[in-house]
Amino acid sequence: MTRAFAVSLIIPDNAAFTAYETLARLGIPAARVVRSDIWLFDVAPEAAAELSASVAQIETLYNPNKHRLVERTSDAPEPGEVWVASRDEAPETQIAGRRLPGVTAIRRRTAWRLLDEDGQDVSQSDRDRAVATFLCNPAFQVAIT
Amino acid sequence: MPQVAVVVFPGTNSEDETLRALHAVGLEAELVHWSAPESLARFDAYVLPGGFAYEDRIRAGAVAAYDAVMDPVIEGAETGKLVLGICNGAQILAEAGLVPGTAGMRRPTAAFAPNASGRFQSVHVYLKLAVAPERVPILAGIEPGAVIPGWASHGDGRLAAPNDELERIVADGHLAFIYADRDGNPVPAPNGAALDCAGLVNRAGNVLAIMPHPERDAWTYQHVDGSRDAARGDTAAMLAPSGGIRFFEHFAHAVRGQVPA
Repeated sequence: MTRAFAVSLIIPDNAAFTAYETLARLGIPAARVVRSDIWLFDVAPEAAAELSASVAQIETLYNPNKHRLVERTSDAPEPGEVWVASRDEAPETQIAGRRLPGVTAIRRRTAWRLLDEDGQDVSQSDRDRAVATFLCNPAFQVAIT
Repeated sequence: MPQVAVVVFPGTNSEDETLRALHAVGLEAELVHWSAPESLARFDAYVLPGGFAYEDRIRAGAVAAYDAVMDPVIEGAETGKLVLGICNGAQILAEAGLVPGTAGMRRPTAAFAPNASGRFQSVHVYLKLAVAPERVPILAGIEPGAVIPGWASHGDGRLAAPNDELERIVADGHLAFIYADRDGNPVPAPNGAALDCAGLVNRAGNVLAIMPHPERDAWTYQHVDGSRDAARGDTAAMLAPSGGIRFFEHFAHAVRGQVPA
């Protein structure tokens, strides 16, 4: 089974702000850009219950002083969200030099969400334009919605 | 005398050694910061040095490729001005669609993606010319099969592109440099790059992107081939330009060839 975790910053996200500025220069009307790291773990069912606690102990992935860690209910993007992944990604078996009990593969995505001034997702056409022009380089990345 | 701009982004870190190499081969060059894009048009050639522009946020080179300071660089490239990108500069040129340049500006078809190792690597390498120099103005004067020393020092230097684009890169002569040993024998790219690519050039031959740093192996005291030890006790020999400086000599030759004295 695959379990998904989202790690986002609770301090200002400079990368998201830089993306916002570049998207503004491209004329994409996002008032706010939200970025998360998505970690997907293929884990044996008998080890799944312990996974969340194990992930929370990896300080290079999650530091409670600056990150929010959320276990997702699905291993797919949420509505309005786009995940960017490397096209030729090779799953890892370790994270930060550690193996996690029952985990056989680890994959990473970057999740993006573009919001308007009302906190609603921008239109799909604007999101698609942001992905096609800037957030994803199709030469080696793929966008997942 | 042609004027060369070394374009500095927030996060660039190799501008001084690049400028020094350009001065050493007799070029008039100066630093131009990203906040002064209006000053770039007057230059005859542009060099984008190494570093981590915009902290490599989003992707290496991606944010810089859309910076306003790249507008005059792109316009200059389209009118035939010479543009050289080294390491992070190469990543920026790929993200800006200037190399290989098969789909238009700011429409990247290839990338210098994260190394296959997943880690930053710093290894001494040699670049071997892989394209006919007479087709490439920016390499004018370089001898066929020339080998240039440098340091591959990057976390994102692996050429990545769809297979049909890789075929186009080879067929249309965009593969400018490959990795080699000091005798010019091809070796696997240390970063896992497709085609063992160390550098790409555009179709017109005036935009060149190389991942290794020849400016970091451009003086005897920087060499790892034994010449540094041989020069011990001889200050003049130790400080002499050599090795990677040849790359800049060829670049200077090309710049002077583009611009009448």
